[in-house]
Amino acid sequence: METSLFDAAAQGFLNLMHFKVFLAMLLGVGIGTFTAVAPQGLGMPLVYAILLPVVIRWEPITGIALLIGASSVSAICAAYLPILFGIPGGSGSQATVLDGYPMGKRGEGRRALGASFMAGGMGCLIGTLTLALAIPATRPLIYLMGSPELFVVMLWGLSMVAVLAGRRPIKGLIAAVFGLLLATVGQQAQSGIMRFVFDQPYLLDGISMSIIALALFGIPSALDLALTKLGVEQQPVPLKGSLFDGVKDTLREWWLVVRCSFVGVWVGIVPGLGSQVVDWLAYGHAAQTCKGAGGSFGRGDVRGVIAPESANDAKDGGDLVTTLLLGFPQGVVTALFMVALLAWGYLPGPEMVKKNTDVIYSVIWLQGISGIIGTLIGFVLAAQLAKLAEVRYTFMVPIMFIFILMGAFSVNRDPLDLLAVVAFGILGYFMRRFGYPRPAMILGLVLGDLMEKYLYRSVASYGFSWLGRPAVIVLLILAATSLVFTLRGRLKSKSESPSSLGGAMARSDDES
Amino acid sequence: MELKKRNFGPSAGRFLVTLLTYLLFLPGDLCSQTPFFQGKTITMIQGREPGGSGDLRPRALVPFLRKYIPGNPTIVMEYMPGGGGRKAANHLYRSARPDGLTIGNPSVGMISLAVLGESGILYDLDKFFYLGSPYSTYHAVFLSRKQAGLSSIEKLRAASGIRIGAQSVGFVTYNEGRLFAYLLGLKEPKFIAAYSGPEIDPALMRGEVDARSNGADTVVRRNREWLEGALVDFHAIIETPKGDKHPQFSHLPELESFARSDRERKLVILQRAFRIAGTPFVLPPGTPKDRVEILQEAFRKTYKDPEFFHEYKKLTGDEPSPLLPKDHERAIREIPREPEVIELFKKLVGAGPLPAR
Repeated sequence: METSLFDAAAQGFLNLMHFKVFLAMLLGVGIGTFTAVAPQGLGMPLVYAILLPVVIRWEPITGIALLIGASSVSAICAAYLPILFGIPGGSGSQATVLDGYPMGKRGEGRRALGASFMAGGMGCLIGTLTLALAIPATRPLIYLMGSPELFVVMLWGLSMVAVLAGRRPIKGLIAAVFGLLLATVGQQAQSGIMRFVFDQPYLLDGISMSIIALALFGIPSALDLALTKLGVEQQPVPLKGSLFDGVKDTLREWWLVVRCSFVGVWVGIVPGLGSQVVDWLAYGHAAQTCKGAGGSFGRGDVRGVIAPESANDAKDGGDLVTTLLLGFPQGVVTALFMVALLAWGYLPGPEMVKKNTDVIYSVIWLQGISGIIGTLIGFVLAAQLAKLAEVRYTFMVPIMFIFILMGAFSVNRDPLDLLAVVAFGILGYFMRRFGYPRPAMILGLVLGDLMEKYLYRSVASYGFSWLGRPAVIVLLILAATSLVFTLRGRLKSKSESPSSLGGAMARSDDES
Repeated sequence: MELKKRNFGPSAGRFLVTLLTYLLFLPGDLCSQTPFFQGKTITMIQGREPGGSGDLRPRALVPFLRKYIPGNPTIVMEYMPGGGGRKAANHLYRSARPDGLTIGNPSVGMISLAVLGESGILYDLDKFFYLGSPYSTYHAVFLSRKQAGLSSIEKLRAASGIRIGAQSVGFVTYNEGRLFAYLLGLKEPKFIAAYSGPEIDPALMRGEVDARSNGADTVVRRNREWLEGALVDFHAIIETPKGDKHPQFSHLPELESFARSDRERKLVILQRAFRIAGTPFVLPPGTPKDRVEILQEAFRKTYKDPEFFHEYKKLTGDEPSPLLPKDHERAIREIPREPEVIELFKKLVGAGPLPAR
C-alpha cells in the first residue's frame, strides 16, 4: 500500500523512535568519527565492508542507522588530518590541506577545525534537504520506469567504471567484467540453470557480496598496514585558537557554503564524478569566485577550508539520490550500502520509492541527525579527537583481522566463508598491488545480477523493440553524455589546473 | 618463579569431598525429575534471511513453544539462507546434533526440491521428524490484466504468446503459473521469470506482462484496488486442501477440473502436496524418540492454543491453518512419487516450453 509523502516522512521519523536504533546511530557516529580521524588508512569502504556482515542480520532500520551514522559523520570529521598533520584526509578532504595546514601552523588550528565542522554540518543538511526534495520531484518519473528503462539506468551506473578505474581504463574494465562474472555464480533466476556451481552447495546462491566486499577491502588494508607499518610519524601542529572563530567565519561565508554544497550535491548526483573530485571542484570554484583568493588561497585562507568541507558533506546527499531513487550506486560506499539494502529485501530504485518510501525518509532523517551530532562531537571533543589521530598501527592491525574474520563467519556461520574471505582477500591484495581497481569489481558484482534480470525481462517482454522506447532513448543519451563528459575530463586532466574539473580528476586517487 | 601456595582450609576441603561424593552417587532417577530442556537453549535454524514474512511465522510460535516445552527452554533463531532451503536442510540432515536442541524450519522448497530430485539435495525427506506447520491452506489464482482483453478462459486459449510474469524458475508461484498455463491449455505462453514478488504487479499494470499466478490472500491484501477497480480478470484457482473454498474466489473453477487424465490430475495433487506441507518444522534424523515426542506435543499444544491464532495473525497478517505433527508426517508420506508423474511435473516446471498434452 502506497502512502503519501508526508505520512512516509512521519513514518520514517517514527521508525527511528527506538532505543536500539538511536544506539546504533550513535555507535555509527562513533565509528565514523574514529575512521575519519584515525590515520592508518582506514576508510569508509573498509568500515562498511567490516560492518556489512554484522548489520545485515539486524533489523533493517537499526542496521541503516549504524551505516548512515558512520558515513555521514566521517566526512564532517575528516579535516583533522589535513589541518593538524598536513596530510590529506580521505577522498573528499584532500583539498583542505592547502589552506587548513597553514592555518594550523599559524596557530589557528581550532579556527580551521571550527570552520570545517560548521561548513560540514551545513553542507550535510543541504545535501540531506536536496535528497528529501528529490523524492517528490522524481516520483512521477519513477512510475514510468519498466525493465528496459531500469536496464539503461544500470548501464549508466556501470559507466562509473570509467571513473573508478582512474587512469587505468583497461584494468578497470577487466575488474568490472570479473565482478560481472562473479555475479553469475549460482542459479540463474530465469532458467534455473546452475552456473559455475561445480556441484558445491556452497555456491548454489553465489558467493555472498558482503563476504567479497569484506575480503577485497579488509584484508589488503590490514596487510598493507602490517607490511608497510604506516602511521602518522610526524607530530601534529599544536591545537590553538578558537573553534568559534571558525563558526563565525563560516556563517559570514554562508553564500559560499550554499554554493559549494550544491557543487557537492551535483557531484553526488551526476554519474561519473565522485568523492575524489568533489573537494577540488569546490576549492576551484572558491578560488575563482572569492574576492582576493589569488593572493590568500594556499596560504591559510579559511575559505579554502570552508569550500571543500561543505561540498564533501553535501555530496553524500547527492550520492543517495541516485542510489536510493534510481538504484545505482555512485561509489564503493553506496555500492556496499546497496548490498545491505538488497540483503534486507529492499530493491533500491523505483521499487523502493514506491514501496518503502518511509525507509528512504528514515535514511534522510538519520543523515540529518547524524550530521548534527557529528558536528557537535567535533566541537565538544576537538582536543580528544586530535589525540585519536595518533593511534598506532600495532594496535589497529590485530583488531582489523579479528573483525574481518569474525565478520566473515557471522554471515552464515559457514567455515567455507572463512576460506572465501582469505581467497578474495589475497585477490584484493594483488589487485591493489597491480593497480586493478577493486571498486570497479564491486560495482560489476552489485549491478551484474540486476542488469542481467532487467535485460532478460526487456527482451523477453518486448523483443528488441524496447530499444525504441522514448524513455530508453533519453536515458541512453544521458548515459552516453555523462560517459563522454567523464572521459573527456580524464583526457584533459593532465593539462589543466587543479581547480578545474579535469585537474581535479587528475588529482583523484582511484581508491584501489 | 615461585608459586604461592593457597590454603583453602579444612572446611573448603570437606565441602569439595562432599560435593564430589554427592555427584558420584546421585541416583539416576533423581536427575530425570528435571526436564531435559530446562535451562537449555534450542536453536531454530531458518533457511532464509532474517526480517521477511517467512521469519515472522516461526517467531510467532516461539513464546508458545517456550510455554509448552517442559523446562521452558530459551529459543534462539539462526539463519541459514541458500539454495531455496537446501542449505539449511542439508545442514540439519548431515551436521546438526540430533539432541532435540536443534529445530529446523528450512523453507517451503525443502519438500518439493527433494521430491523432484533437484541437484544439491543431500538429505532424505523420510528420515526427518516432522513437527507440523502453522499453515496448510493456500489458494493460488490465475489472473490477467483487464487491458489485455483476456476476459474469459476461451479468450485466454485463443490468444497466442501470452506473457506470464513469474519469480525465479523453481519458485513455487512460477510452478503454479506453469501449471495453470498447461492445464488451461494456453497457446505458446511466454514465461518471463526473474521478477521479485512485488515487482510483478507493477509490471502487469504497465503491460510488461499480461498475466500471473499469485496467492488469493496476497491479492486481497496487497492489490485491493485491482478488485475495487476491476483492473484484472480472474480465471481459475488451485484450492489447497482440495475443496477449501476461498471466501472471495469461490466462483472460480478449480484447476483440477481442467485435467484430461489421471496423470494430469496427479500434477495438481502433487502441487497441493507441496503447498500443504507449508513451511515444515523438522528435527534431525536420530533425535531421541522421547525428545521428539515432547517437542511434537509442544507444537501440537501451540497449534491448538487460541492465543496463538491471535498472535500469529497479529504478527504475520495471515490466518493460521495449522497442520499437526502426525498429519504432517502423513502428508509427506502421501506425496505422489510415481516416476512418470514426477518426470512430467519436472518438465512442466522447467524453463523450456510446456510439454505437449
